[in-house]
Amino acid sequence: MAGQDITRAGEALRLVQVSKTYGSGDHPVRALDDVSVSLAAGTFTAIMGPSGSGKSTFLQCAAGLDQPTEGRVFIDGAELTGGSETKVTKFRRQRIGFIFQQFNLLPTLTVLQNVTLPLRLAGKKADRKRAIEILGRVGLRERIDHRPAELSGGQQQRVAIARALVTNPSVIFADEPTGALDSRSARNVLALLAEAVHEFGQTVVMVTHDPVAASYADSVIFLADGRLAGSLDRPTAEAVAERMTHLGDQVAPYAAVGE
Amino acid sequence: MTVFDLALRSLRHRTGGFVASFLSMFLGAIVIMSFAAMFDTAGGAGVDAVSEETLITMASVVGGWGLVIVLFAVISTMTLSVRQRAGEMALLKSVGATPFQVGRMIVGETLVVAVAASLLALPLAAGGGWFLLEMLQETGQVADGVGYAFGSAALSIGIGVTLLASVGGAAVAARRAVRMRATEAMTAASIETGRMSRKRVIAAIVFLAAGLNCGILTATLFDGKGIDAMQTAGQASIWFSIGLALLGPVLVRPVTAALAGPLRLVGGAGGYLAVENVRRRTQQMAGALMPIILFTGIATGTLYMQSIENGAPPAAGSSIPPDEAQAIETLNFVVVGMLSVFAAIMVINTLVAATTYRRREFGQQRLVGSTPPQVLGMVGMEGVVLAAAGVLFGSIGSIVTVFPYSLARTGELLPDTTLAIYLGIVSVAATLTLASCLGAARKAIRVPAVQAVAV
Repeated sequence: MAGQDITRAGEALRLVQVSKTYGSGDHPVRALDDVSVSLAAGTFTAIMGPSGSGKSTFLQCAAGLDQPTEGRVFIDGAELTGGSETKVTKFRRQRIGFIFQQFNLLPTLTVLQNVTLPLRLAGKKADRKRAIEILGRVGLRERIDHRPAELSGGQQQRVAIARALVTNPSVIFADEPTGALDSRSARNVLALLAEAVHEFGQTVVMVTHDPVAASYADSVIFLADGRLAGSLDRPTAEAVAERMTHLGDQVAPYAAVGE
Repeated sequence: MTVFDLALRSLRHRTGGFVASFLSMFLGAIVIMSFAAMFDTAGGAGVDAVSEETLITMASVVGGWGLVIVLFAVISTMTLSVRQRAGEMALLKSVGATPFQVGRMIVGETLVVAVAASLLALPLAAGGGWFLLEMLQETGQVADGVGYAFGSAALSIGIGVTLLASVGGAAVAARRAVRMRATEAMTAASIETGRMSRKRVIAAIVFLAAGLNCGILTATLFDGKGIDAMQTAGQASIWFSIGLALLGPVLVRPVTAALAGPLRLVGGAGGYLAVENVRRRTQQMAGALMPIILFTGIATGTLYMQSIENGAPPAAGSSIPPDEAQAIETLNFVVVGMLSVFAAIMVINTLVAATTYRRREFGQQRLVGSTPPQVLGMVGMEGVVLAAAGVLFGSIGSIVTVFPYSLARTGELLPDTTLAIYLGIVSVAATLTLASCLGAARKAIRVPAVQAVAV
C-alpha cells in the first residue's frame, strides 16, 4: 500500500486478499473483506477507521494472533501459515514484536526480565547488555530492577516498546499503544516509535483512532466496514481528522441500508 | 428484587463456582450424620454399656473432627470463590449495594447450597451409618443384637453442624471480601509484600508448640503405657502440621532457592518463569501449600502410628483392654480417611481456582511468545516446587507423632515398619498437586490469548 511496489525485496508485511468472517449461519459478520496491503521495510504506518471498521481484526490477522478465514499473510517474505498455536507462536516470536494498549507486562518480573523474556522464550541467550542499552534508549536505564506495578503507564509502555525491539523483529505491531496514556506520555511513546523507524530501520504498523497519534506515521491506511478505504501520505492530524469525518459520512448510510 | 433473589440468581448462573463448596459440605454432612447416627443407635432399647460407650466415643470423636474439617474446608472454598468474584462484588457496590448487603448475598448463597447438600446427603448418610454399625458389629466392638437407628440426633447434628459450619465459613469469607476494595483486590493479586501478619506468626508458634508438647508427652509420660500413648501422639502431627501450614510463606522460600538451579537447567524458559513466580507469590503459594502439608503430615503421622502399634508387643502398663484397641484402629483409619478426602478436595480446589485465576497472565505470556507447552511447563515446575515443599514439611509435621510413638512403644526412635505407606502418601500428594495445576492450566489456555488478556 501507500504506493509501494509489491515485488520489492524490502517488503516487511504483505496481506493478499485477506478476509475474516466471525460466526456462521444466517448472520455471519465479515470483519475483514478482501484486504490486500503491502508495506515496505522501514516504514511507519497507521491503520485508522471508525469502531467496527475491522482495524483490530486487521492487526490480529497480520500479526498471527488470529487466523484469517481466507487469504495469505507474509512477514518479511515468509508466509505466516496456519497451524498449531505452538507453530504460529514460534514464527511470531522470531519475526514479530507487539505493543498492546494494556502493556501486558508480566507482573512478577522486573523491567529487565520483562525485556529479555522474548529471548529466553525463544531459547536464546538473554542478552543483558543489549536489553539494558535498549532500555537506555527508551529512557528507563535507571528503572531496570523495578516491577511494572511500580511504574507509570507511560513508563510501562516504554518497557513494552523495549521488549518489542529486543528481538529485532521484521515488523512491530502496536494496538492503540497510547490508548491508556495521558497526552504527554502518549507523545513520548509515539516519538519513540517514530525514532525506531527512522533511526534504526524498524517497521511499525500501528492501529489507532487518534488523528494526533496517526500524524506521527509516514502514511495512514483507512479502513471502513472491513474494506480498504484509501490512504494518506505524510499525514497531519487535521487531514486525518478531516478524512475520518468523511469516512463516517460514507459509512453511515451504507450501514443503515446494509442492515 | 431482594438480596436473597439475587443470591438465587447468582447461584443459578454460576453453578460451577459452587461445586467445591458443595462437595465439601456434602461429604461433611454424610460423615457427620453417619457418625451422629451412632448416638441414635446407642440410645436404642437393650443396648449394653460397652456397646453404648463405643458408639458414643465413635460419634463424638469423629463428629468433633468433622466439624473442624468442614468449617476449614468451607472457609477455604468460599474464600476462593468470593475472591474470584471481586469484580462482581465491586460492581454491586458501585451500583449501591452496601457491604452488609453484599455479605448477606454471599451468606444467602451459601445457605442455599448448604441446605441442598445436607438434604442430598441424607440417604447416603443413612446408608453410611448402617455400614458403620455393621463394621463395628463384625469386628465385635458392638454387640450383635444392637439395632440400627437413624433419627433425631443424626438429623439435628448432621444438618445443624453442616449449616453452622457453612454459614460461619461464608461469613468469614464475606467479611474479608467486603473489607477489600476492588482496586486493592486487583493489586493484591499482582503484588504482595511477602510479610506475614503477627497474628499468623503467633498462631503458628502456638500450634507448633502444642504439637511438640504432645510429642514430648508421648515419649515421656506414656512411655511403656502401650496404646494409651495414642491419646497424645495422634494429635501431635495434626497440631504441628497446622503450625507448619501457617508458616507456608516463609517455608516455601528455602525450597524454591534449593530447586531454582535444577529447575532453570531442566525447565528452560518455563523453569525460569516458574522460579520467578514462586518467589514473588509466596502468599498465594502458601495457600495451596497448606492442604498439601496437612494431608501429608496427618496421613503419615496417623498411619505410621497405627502401623507401629500393630507391630509392637502388648504393653503391661496400658489402661485399655486389647479388644478396645481394635475400635481405636478403626477410629484412626476413619479419621485419616476423612481428613485425607477433605485435604484432597482442598488441594484440588485451591490449585484449580488459583490457576484459573491466572488466565490473563497466561494470555500475556502467550502474546509475548510462550508456546502452550512452555506455559504448561512453567505451571508444572511450579507444581513441582509446591509438591516438594508440601511433602517435605508434611513429613516434618509427621515426625512429632511417629518418632515419639515409636520410642514409647518399641524403645527405638525409627519405626521398623514398611516404607510403602509413606511412598503411597507422597505419590498421592504429588499426583493431586500436579494434576490439579496442569488440568486447570490446560483449560485456561484453551481460550485464544487475545481474549484471555481482554479485561
